[in-house]
Amino acid sequence: MNTWTARLENPLSARLRDPATTGAFGILLGAFAAFLAIPPIEARTVTWPILFGIVAAALGIWTVTRGRRRLGWGAVAAGLLGIGLGILATRSSTGNLESAFDATLVAQTLGFSTPLVFGAIGGMFSERSGVVNIGLEGMMLMGAFWGVYGADKGGSWAVGLLVAMGVGGLLALVYAFFAIHLRADQIVGGTAVNFLAVGITGYFFIELYNNNPIHNGVSLLPNVHVPGLPVNPDNPHGFVDFLGQAVGDLSILTWAGLALVILAYVVLFKTPIGLRIRACGEHPRAADTVGINVYVIRYGCVILSGMLAALGGIYLSEGPQGNGTFIFNMTNGRGFIALAAMIFGNWRPAGAAAAALLFGFSSALALKLQVYSQSAGTLFQILPYVLTLIAVAGVIGRTVAPAADGKPYAKQ
Amino acid sequence: MRGIRKEFPGVVANDEVSFEVRRGEVHALLGENGAGKSTLMNILYGLYRPDGGEIRLNGKPVSFSSAREAINAGIGMVHQHFMLIPVMTVAENVVLGTEPVREGVLLDERAAARRVADMAKTFNFAVDPEALVEDISVGQQQRVEIMKALYRNADVLILDEPTAVLTPQEASDLFDILQTLRQEGMSIIFISHKLNEVLEIADRITVLRRGKTIETVSRHGATEASLARAMVGRDVLLRVDKPQAATGDVLLTVQDLHVRDDRGIEKVRGVSLDVRAGEIVGIAGVDGNGQSELIDALTGLQKIESGAVTIAGRELSHASARAALDAGIGHIPEDRQRRGLVLEFSIAENIALHDYAKPPTARSGWLFPGRMVQRAKTLIKEFDVRGGGPLTRAGGLSGGNQQKLVVAREIDRDPKVLIAAQPTRGLDVGAIEYLHRRLVAERDEGRAILLISLELEEILSLSDRILVLFEGEIVGEHTGEVSEETIGLEMLGGGEKAVA
Repeated sequence: MNTWTARLENPLSARLRDPATTGAFGILLGAFAAFLAIPPIEARTVTWPILFGIVAAALGIWTVTRGRRRLGWGAVAAGLLGIGLGILATRSSTGNLESAFDATLVAQTLGFSTPLVFGAIGGMFSERSGVVNIGLEGMMLMGAFWGVYGADKGGSWAVGLLVAMGVGGLLALVYAFFAIHLRADQIVGGTAVNFLAVGITGYFFIELYNNNPIHNGVSLLPNVHVPGLPVNPDNPHGFVDFLGQAVGDLSILTWAGLALVILAYVVLFKTPIGLRIRACGEHPRAADTVGINVYVIRYGCVILSGMLAALGGIYLSEGPQGNGTFIFNMTNGRGFIALAAMIFGNWRPAGAAAAALLFGFSSALALKLQVYSQSAGTLFQILPYVLTLIAVAGVIGRTVAPAADGKPYAKQ
Repeated sequence: MRGIRKEFPGVVANDEVSFEVRRGEVHALLGENGAGKSTLMNILYGLYRPDGGEIRLNGKPVSFSSAREAINAGIGMVHQHFMLIPVMTVAENVVLGTEPVREGVLLDERAAARRVADMAKTFNFAVDPEALVEDISVGQQQRVEIMKALYRNADVLILDEPTAVLTPQEASDLFDILQTLRQEGMSIIFISHKLNEVLEIADRITVLRRGKTIETVSRHGATEASLARAMVGRDVLLRVDKPQAATGDVLLTVQDLHVRDDRGIEKVRGVSLDVRAGEIVGIAGVDGNGQSELIDALTGLQKIESGAVTIAGRELSHASARAALDAGIGHIPEDRQRRGLVLEFSIAENIALHDYAKPPTARSGWLFPGRMVQRAKTLIKEFDVRGGGPLTRAGGLSGGNQQKLVVAREIDRDPKVLIAAQPTRGLDVGAIEYLHRRLVAERDEGRAILLISLELEEILSLSDRILVLFEGEIVGEHTGEVSEETIGLEMLGGGEKAVA
């Protein structure tokens, strides 16, 4: 008889009407509105972007009135932006549009994201255990140089991978000793690690290679060809060709990075060791009193973060973009962007990965846009930093660091 | 534990301490702050290593080098500051470090929640295993701590000052739980410095003083007075003898005061009171009934919604904290460590906190550290602050001496009205005695004293007049003899006014 109230209490419909859901859905729709106007869908009328944009904005307003202001206004803004971009895109010529927004944009986004994913997940392990790792940048740089060195001298990219991880882990061990054992200031210590890495790689680059780009013929990280997908279709047409261009020819590390995100989630949130790691980052003394060795956990996590960052680094020198060459200070701040992605993603694997993809996307877009306008491209480069500032300021739901992050633990 | 000795640089925390706990008894460790109770228990729990002596468990000598070893031997500890992770669930906190596992590597969340739910049911804990620790009450958090020990099959449970953070109702619930655990055959070590609760819960009591065992007595035959003597080493006046109050002019008047807290909730709802020179007015009430907001409004720390505050004839309703101080308010804050003192500052600097910009401490913008030290020396002597000189860090003093320091600063300013909020919270018997006598002495000097305390006993023994605060309103006023029951009832909103 009371079907109406029963329906009200139905958890699914209640969840759908939850302002958090509607707000997120609104933002999604706003993004979709812009997406409609660009390839591969490429709706040539403004109707569809406008329609979706309006729905997104409406959902946003609904959300605002239900009390979730930030999320709601976010959805409204996404809707309006979606309409604006949609109109712009439909006005510009198809040819221009296709060269900017084609499948290679997807491939490049994934490519640019790869080192960030490794760095961000590495940083996450370190910070979840309670150690801030500003030194990611340096560990990445070490990976970039020693990875090429290993591949060069060992004759195989696999040797390069192992050498990079070993050296990255070693530098992390040194940092861990200062940060955990000697309880040194972690910001200062991490900064020192970064300069140390620049110095070490710079010195050996001159010593071993006379500052010349490493000769060609170094064994490179292989790409993975997805069976059934065309790798480089001459005249791309249709969905299969699109997929082939987008994901048919990605580096092995790009795929490994995606797997790493899932693995990191499982380890951190679904295993006892993950629970212990998080306990050490939140309340090390509590962990200590139930018999968890805080030092062992923290050392392990920092070393792991160094190894993962080094994998991000070797992608730069040995991956498709690096082509086996090392350049002085070639990480160029990517370790810090990885750190920003981790913060943007609220110290969670999926969030960090999404942030890394977003940052990768803005880098890829900047590269494409440089064809038309140098300045517009450069402008897009700053997007990651602006987004990070917004995230840290708490506009899109406040980010919360582990409570004991960056605080050295002293056993009594 | 026999002949336990532990030295820290410069101090002997435990000096040949011995005591034994029997199966199925509640054994209280009683002593003043710094008597070595916590040190002793941290040794038993494997957090510290003893410099001498031996520990025997079920007759066998044992030695723990880490908490893990103590846990494995069946010892559990509920720390004074809970060892819980606020952002994790109850179940996660309970199983942390000894997690149930499925398929070899994965955390078995369901098994964890089920086992916690079973325990909660067995012992009637009323705690939801899936709730986040930050969302549950302090009393429930303590039960989570107890469950952590039970989950690890502890048969000796150490509780370090467990009632310090609890409301009276929660404390009574805790005692019920402890009785149940005792009947299950568990041995409980109960650390406390509160005489009444030790007499209520313990079967036997071991008194520690300055790191030494003084005596172990059975509850039967022990009295508060005898225990206090053993704790302090001399006779202690538990009741304050005070002469009849000689009251003078009204110094503090509050009229129809309304105050909202930071979240906009009205916490003080129409309080009117006045305090005369030479009297102590006590405000009784359960924590959270508007005491903090009332204090903050009177001292200019919180904006007043409506109403008026007058001090010695001067209207101060919307005055700043500085103006309230200058008008003659002295304030002994609720939380001396956070609000009363700058812990990283020296004693001399702490004393100069109010008057740092005035002569003689400063002149034309220059500070005279020498004068600050001189003044500190005088006050240290007058108020018997022990544990350091003028340049000692305030944070290095014991709780009682920190409080003496706050009192010295406030009284030295010669305030007309002294607001004493929880002046003896967390202090041991000796320091409480001193502070109570001092407050009565200041009353006799002709100051108006407003005493806000959660300890009903303190209110009853010190006040000349008692007001009962309930949900931001004064619901009862008493002069002269009044029973604890009457006030207790009014504190819970069950007084005449509520009945009528």
